[in-house]
Amino acid sequence: MDALSVVKSSYIKELLGKGEREDSRGMFDFRKIDIKTGIIGQAEGSAQVDLGNTRVLAGVKMVPEEPHSDTPNEGNIIVSAELLPLAAVEYETGPPSPEAIELSRVVDRGIRAAGSVDLASLFIEEGKVWSVYVDVYVLNYDGNLFDACTMAAMAALTDTHMPKYSDGAADYKSRDADLPIKNIVTSTTFGKIGNSIVLDTTANEENAMDARLTIQTDGEVIRAMQKGLKGSFSTSEIDKLIDVSFDKHKDVLSHFKKHKK
Amino acid sequence: MGSSLNKPELLKNGKRLDGRDFAELRPLKIDAGILKNAAGSAYLEWGNNKVLAAVYGPKEAMPRHMADPTKAIIKCRYSMAPFSSIEGHGRSGPNRRAIEISKVTKEVFENVVMLEEFPGNEIDVFIEILQSDGGTRAAGITAASVALANAGVKMRDLVYAVSAGRIGEHVVLDVNMIEDNYSDADMPMAISPRNSNVLLLQMDGGFSKQQFKEAIKMVIDAGKEISGIQRAALENVYKNKKEDD
Amino acid sequence: MIGWKEMRHFVVPGDKVLDRQMRIENAYIEAGKTHSAVMGFYDDERNSIIPLEGAWKPRTGDLVIGIVSSIGRNGSTYSIDLTEFISGLVVAGKFSTLDFKEGDIIEATIQEIEHKNLAILEHPKALKMATMIKIKPVKVARVIGRAETMIKQISEYTGCSMVVGKNGLIWLDGGDVALATDAILKIEKEAHLSGLTERIKDMLEKNQKGE
Repeated sequence: MDALSVVKSSYIKELLGKGEREDSRGMFDFRKIDIKTGIIGQAEGSAQVDLGNTRVLAGVKMVPEEPHSDTPNEGNIIVSAELLPLAAVEYETGPPSPEAIELSRVVDRGIRAAGSVDLASLFIEEGKVWSVYVDVYVLNYDGNLFDACTMAAMAALTDTHMPKYSDGAADYKSRDADLPIKNIVTSTTFGKIGNSIVLDTTANEENAMDARLTIQTDGEVIRAMQKGLKGSFSTSEIDKLIDVSFDKHKDVLSHFKKHKK
Repeated sequence: MGSSLNKPELLKNGKRLDGRDFAELRPLKIDAGILKNAAGSAYLEWGNNKVLAAVYGPKEAMPRHMADPTKAIIKCRYSMAPFSSIEGHGRSGPNRRAIEISKVTKEVFENVVMLEEFPGNEIDVFIEILQSDGGTRAAGITAASVALANAGVKMRDLVYAVSAGRIGEHVVLDVNMIEDNYSDADMPMAISPRNSNVLLLQMDGGFSKQQFKEAIKMVIDAGKEISGIQRAALENVYKNKKEDD
Repeated sequence: MIGWKEMRHFVVPGDKVLDRQMRIENAYIEAGKTHSAVMGFYDDERNSIIPLEGAWKPRTGDLVIGIVSSIGRNGSTYSIDLTEFISGLVVAGKFSTLDFKEGDIIEATIQEIEHKNLAILEHPKALKMATMIKIKPVKVARVIGRAETMIKQISEYTGCSMVVGKNGLIWLDGGDVALATDAILKIEKEAHLSGLTERIKDMLEKNQKGE
C-alpha cells in the first residue's frame, strides 16, 4: 500500500469510529447506481454499470456448441470477470491474479446457482445447445467489484436477444427472441473495517477493510455467499447482513426495471 | 449443482445414502507429524477423502519483494492429485478452482497465525488432496490446522472446517461427493472454535434464511467432535513416541 | 515423587489457560483471559507453557553455532548462516584481527536482535571442522539439562567435547562421537517424557566402549 492509501485508510477508520463515511452515506447505502443496456450493438446483450466511480461493462455472446455428455438437453452459461489494466494503477497485464479469479468465480456462482437463465431453454436440437458467454470488464475501479459485476452480468442477460439457428449455424443478423430470464440475482457485498460493517465499499474503504462478505439472492432464497480476507464475522453479524441483503434486493431491482428498454 | 434431470434420490427412509443422520459427520481420522522433512504435517481421512497437509517455515520470504518487514506472509497451495477423483484424469497444475480455494484458505490462517512474530519470513501451507469425496476444502483446512500446530506455529486458535448442505427440506452436515453434486445447497465453513467466529464461508445453491441459520448451527455444533479429533491427533504424536526406540 | 508430566496438561492453540489476564510466554490475552498460542504443556503451578514444537525464539546472550556464509566487501562484516529463519552478522571492529573464511564454523553470542530477523553476534570464535548435527531448537534445553547435567553426562561417558547452540546446531569432536550423537537424537525424540536423564544414562552405560 502506498503512503497516501495508508493515510486515507486511517482517516476512514477514524470516520467510522464516529459512525460516518467519507462520502457521508449511511452504513448500508449503495452509491448511485446507473445501468445502461444495449451499448455494444454487435453483442447479443450488453450493459454498463456505474456504481459511484466504479464502472464495469458486460457483453453477452451466444454460440451453438455440443452439450456436455451428462447434460445433453441443457445449454451452458459461463460468466467471467476480468480486471483490465486500464482500470487502476495497481492492475497489471499477465495471468489473472487470485483476486481476479475469486471475483470471476463468485459472480458466476450466484447467477448459476439461481438458474437465472433456464439451461433447458438453451436446447436447440439433438447434439446442439446454446452456450451463453457473459464477459464482464472492469473499466474503472473504485471498490465493490463483486456487486457491480453481478449487476452488469445480470443486466446484460436481461438485454440479450437470441440469434436464430438455421442450417447448423447461428444467424447473428436475425436476433428476435428475448433470452428467457427466470429470476434476477442481486449481490450485496459488505466490508468489515474495525468493528464497523458497511455496504458497497469504495477503494479507500477497501484499503482499510479487514473482512468482506458477499451475499447473493434472488429475493426468495440466498443463492451464493463468499467471505473474503483475513478478518472474521460472528454468526449474528451474518444473520443481520442477510436481512439487509434481502432488503437491498428490491432496491437494486428497481434500477433494472427503470433501465430496461 | 448437477443437472436436475438425472438427479438420484439422496435420502432413503429418512437417512442419507451412506446411512448417516442429517447432522452426522463421516468418520474422521487424523495423524499428525507424519512427514519427516516438514516442520509440521498431518494426514487426514474423512469419509473417502484422503488429505495430506504440510507446513514449512518460518523461513526467509521469497521472492524478496514479497517479504513484509512488519510480519510473516502465508503462502498456501491447495491441490488435487490427478488420480484423486473417480472420474477421469485431473489436469495437473493449479486450475481456477484450486487458486480460489488456496486464496480463501490462506485468509483463514492469516486470521489465527501470529504473523507479527516473524517479520520478513514466510510460512508455507501445502494441502494435497490424494483422494476426493466431497468437502475437500474443509478437510484440507482441518488437516492444515493440525499441521500448523504440529509445527509449533504460534496461533490464536485451532481452526476446523466442515460443510453444510441441503437435501430437499433437510439441512445436512458434512456433504459428501454425490450429495455435493446433486444437493440443493452447499456451504463450506471454517470456524475459530474459541469464539465461533466465521473465517471461511462460501455457499451456492439455495438456502432460506431459516435454513441458513439451521446450517450454521449444525456447523458450530459439530466443532466439539472435530476439534476433539484434531487435539487427540496432536497429543498422540507424543504418547506414541514413548515406546519405540 | 510425581513425574513432571503429571503436573502439566496438554494444551493446543486457543485453549484458555487462565480466567484472568497474565503475561505468559507462548500465550496471548484476549477479552481479559489468557489463552495458549502453542501446542505444549501448561504447568498450572508455575503458570508457564512449555511448547512441544516451534521456531527458535532468539534472545540476547544466546550461544549459537553457525557457518560463515559470506564476507562483506570491505572485509568488516561476516554473514553467518544459523540454519534458522534468522541469520547472524559478525561486525569486525576497526582493529579486529578476525580472519574467517567462507564455510568456517563459529560459535558466538547474540549481542542484539535487529528487525526480529537479524542477530548481531559478538565474541565469535572459530571451531575446527568436526561433526555437526542439527536438532529442533525447542529441544536444546533438554539436551543441556538442568545445570548442564545432561550434556556433562554425555561428555563423561563418551569422552566427546560438544558445543550446543541455542539455534539447534551442535558441534561434536573427539571420543565416541557416534554414541554422543545417538544420545542427543534420543533426547530430541523423548524430550517431553519423564525419567529421561536415567534412560540416557542407561543407554550410555550399555553402549559404552570398553576402556
